[in-house]
Amino acid sequence: MADPTLGDQLIFWLLAGLTTFFAVFTITRKNPVTAVMSLVATFFCLSGIYASLSAHFLAAIQVLVYAGAIMVLFIFVIMILNREEVAPFSLRPLRVLGVVAVGYLLLKLITVAVGLPHGAPGVLPDDFGTVAAIGDVLFRDFLYPFESISVLLLVAIVGGVVVSRSHQKEAAAEAAAAYRQQIHQMAEHDYPGAPEAPTTPEGHH
Amino acid sequence: MPTFYYLILSFALFLIGTAGVLLRRNALIALMGIELQLNGGNLAMLAFSRELGDLKGHVFAFFIIALAAAEAAVGLAILVALFRGRQTVNLDEATLMKR
Amino acid sequence: MTFNLRLIPLLPFLGAAILMLFGRKWKRDTVLIVAAGVIAGSCLVAFDAFFTALPGAAAGGGLHDVVGTWIAAGSLKIDLAFRMDALSGLLCLIITFIGFLIHLYSSGYMEHDPDYPRFFAYLNLFCGSMLVLVLGDSLPIMFIGWEGVGLCSYLLIGFWYTSNANADAGKKAFITNRIGDLGFLIGMFLLYHTTGTLNFRDLTAAAVGGGGGLMQISWLGAPVAFWAALFLFVGATGKSAQIPLYVWLPDAMAGPTPVSALIHAATMVTAGVYMVARMHALYLLTPGAMAIVAGVGALTALFAAIIGFAQNDFKKVLAYSTISQLGFMFAAVGTANFDGGVFHLFTHAFFKAGLFLCAGSVMHAMGGSGDITIMGGLRKKIPWTHGVFLVCWLAICGVPFFSGFFSKDSIIGGAFATEVFGQDLAWVGKAVGVVLMLAAFGTAFYMSRLYFLVFSGSETRASDEIKHHIHEPPASMVGPLVVLAIGAALGGFIGLPGGLLDHPEWNLLADRLAPVLGPEMEVAHNTAIGCMVASVILALGGIGLAYLFYGGGYREPARKFAAAMPRSVQLVRDKFRIDELYDRLIIRPVKWLAEKLFFFVDRILIDKILVGLPAAIVDLFGRVARWCQGGDVQRYMAVFAIGAAVIVYFATQPMHAFFSNDLKVTVSGLAVDVDAHRGSKPASRELDYSFEFDDNGKPDLTGTTPTDHHVYAKPGTYTVRVEVKDPNWGTSSTLKQKVEVR
Repeated sequence: MADPTLGDQLIFWLLAGLTTFFAVFTITRKNPVTAVMSLVATFFCLSGIYASLSAHFLAAIQVLVYAGAIMVLFIFVIMILNREEVAPFSLRPLRVLGVVAVGYLLLKLITVAVGLPHGAPGVLPDDFGTVAAIGDVLFRDFLYPFESISVLLLVAIVGGVVVSRSHQKEAAAEAAAAYRQQIHQMAEHDYPGAPEAPTTPEGHH
Repeated sequence: MPTFYYLILSFALFLIGTAGVLLRRNALIALMGIELQLNGGNLAMLAFSRELGDLKGHVFAFFIIALAAAEAAVGLAILVALFRGRQTVNLDEATLMKR
Repeated sequence: MTFNLRLIPLLPFLGAAILMLFGRKWKRDTVLIVAAGVIAGSCLVAFDAFFTALPGAAAGGGLHDVVGTWIAAGSLKIDLAFRMDALSGLLCLIITFIGFLIHLYSSGYMEHDPDYPRFFAYLNLFCGSMLVLVLGDSLPIMFIGWEGVGLCSYLLIGFWYTSNANADAGKKAFITNRIGDLGFLIGMFLLYHTTGTLNFRDLTAAAVGGGGGLMQISWLGAPVAFWAALFLFVGATGKSAQIPLYVWLPDAMAGPTPVSALIHAATMVTAGVYMVARMHALYLLTPGAMAIVAGVGALTALFAAIIGFAQNDFKKVLAYSTISQLGFMFAAVGTANFDGGVFHLFTHAFFKAGLFLCAGSVMHAMGGSGDITIMGGLRKKIPWTHGVFLVCWLAICGVPFFSGFFSKDSIIGGAFATEVFGQDLAWVGKAVGVVLMLAAFGTAFYMSRLYFLVFSGSETRASDEIKHHIHEPPASMVGPLVVLAIGAALGGFIGLPGGLLDHPEWNLLADRLAPVLGPEMEVAHNTAIGCMVASVILALGGIGLAYLFYGGGYREPARKFAAAMPRSVQLVRDKFRIDELYDRLIIRPVKWLAEKLFFFVDRILIDKILVGLPAAIVDLFGRVARWCQGGDVQRYMAVFAIGAAVIVYFATQPMHAFFSNDLKVTVSGLAVDVDAHRGSKPASRELDYSFEFDDNGKPDLTGTTPTDHHVYAKPGTYTVRVEVKDPNWGTSSTLKQKVEVR
């Protein structure tokens, strides 16, 4: 691989520094909205880094999906749940030790990474990282995972809806259905042979 | 830039994300920490993909993004349900298991 | 010759099982039919076996029935098998016949008892166990029956368990028996250890053939046979109520009277005598043990008779009488007069059972009381009972031509004439004979006292209320009484002293028992006739003295005697306070020990330490587990990360320095070979090794080979240090080993 030019270096260090800065900023804010904004900034910088890695398609996706959709979702939820807590940080020894342990693990990984063979192909093809090339690989070799991911998204949607549904409405719907059932039974008792009443609660909320 | 630098950056992001997950009381910020972790992994994936000239890394990163979206959705849904019951997003108070 | 002997104990066991399961729902009559029916069935099979099948098989060891192998462990093989020869057959007949009579009697006696089915179930169980005892082919089978009758005795003595006294009596019987059982077991172990068999036939063969291993000298200069016989006899003293383990029998009178009649008169207590007779070959090897048996028997006979002089409870007098008569039986077998012992067992079964059932009738008439001080004059009021009692009384006193006369006489004659003790201990026989004569006098006295105080005289000393209720018992109770009386009167004729009359074959019993117990004892004519005359004189003398004291009620001589020696009389009445002595000497220390053990072992050792410690450990584990599942997600993650870090740390060590030292060093002279392979697998990646041999901090060899060879210049002790580095992970570990080079 060719030696990085000054421009490359500059861009990398700038973007890397910004990314790190914004990342740290994210996790140290008391106000969740500030944190989200900072995270969006992190993603933008990351997108730039992806671009510098010739991952053009993914850079675009990063902005579109991550910064665009996921973060918007976050903001929605923050708007619903906005609360500032009294003591943001929980510096319990176990957790700090956990962070230290992760640091140790990453250190080990670096040691390994340093020793890895660098057998680069040298020159990348022109369309490396473009939509067409990735689409080619995606729909040929990775068709099955691709379809599975769409199922996964469906599952996530359903799961999200189910988890966050309101139980009050459901309880009200069930009570109404039970009442209807009772009425039907009284009718049956007084006038046997009456037409069938609905037996399943019509829950729609 | 040599791959190594991108790796260091990805590790740094991962570490910062972990710190966010473990050391913050606010559940939302913990979720953001998870997003940071995932992005760290993405970066490593792309860096190696460039070094090896293989597009599989890109595809994988793509999947990771999709996955992160799904996970964020579900996680936030859980958070909303939690909030409805307890009126708080403090993770320290979310330790009671189902009765 | 095989015969279906298993039916004999099996039927009563079946009866017991059925009654225990269904008895409560059935009517009284059905229960009686089942209970008495199985005993009758057993009786019929026993009769059939004894009279039709046995005579042909007697020479070949009798009838035999092997049910199966019970224990087969190494060289120990015990079959569940039954054998009937003349001895066990005779006892089977006694058990089933008298058992049947007592079942009939009980239907009347226990008529008003709500636990009627349970009683008959227990009675059947007892009969089954006793039959197993006598029919057993080997000592362990006999022991099964031995334990079974002990259990049934406990169950039946404490039948009315709601009263503490009854329950205590049951416990006392069982525990005292248990102490004897220990002796029995030790005897069994000794026999097995020396002869390798526990089968009666084999043991008898071994003993008859000179003893072999049994005669080797053991502790205190006595042969093993002596100790085995002695320990077995200890078991017999427990079961058959001899000194020192007789104390349970008087207390056992707390049980229903049919129980006393069957168990504590006719059958269970004779198990000891049966055992000694069965093991006669063993006893004949050791005159010392026989002397002890005879001596204990004679002493018990006299001792119990004396206690009987002053007892005021009807059944207690009979209880001590049983102890005394059992002493006679043991004296007989102790003097090698096995026929005599068995003969007395036979006659005693009839007249003692009869006496006990009469006691039941009298107590029934007196409204449940057995106090003879308030009885008297019952002769006219309950004539049938009186008649039976009269016959049995004459029998036990040894009045001529009743059964007791013949059997007691044969015992006393045998004691004087025995030659089994050899020269040194010849006096034992004579002494036993004299003591037995005194005991016979005593027997006559106390039984006559009982007779006169209860039946003679013209008026009953009880209150009017009781007097009004005196009545003869129903036919179901009187019938068996009469049968027993007939037996008591005429039973002696099967053992006529034929030798005396120059017709040895007239002694039917001895004839039948000869294949089992050997020939009848030879008693010189003079000795025999002398003993006979003496015992008749003693019997009549005893009756006369009792008449003097008690004829028609309490008389002047009795009152004067009691007034003259009040303390002695009280001592005798208190049964010489033996129970209190045992309490002081044995029971209280044991209780004290039990309390201390309870405190130290139960409370502290077991509860606090053995239970508390595992509980604390489990609690600890629980706490750890509970902590792990706190519900705090961030804790989970932190633990996950820490765990992963720990694993990675240990997995990336090149040599696992903590867990094993894989440095293999071989020394030969001044040269040292070091091998730093990890385990037996070659390293999967390149590792850097650096060897250092001379403690100077500089490695002597580095490279990627795990082995090295080094020659030292000077002999001495060095430390070999090997540092292994993994360039991939950046980890290293150091191993060292001290090495001595010469």
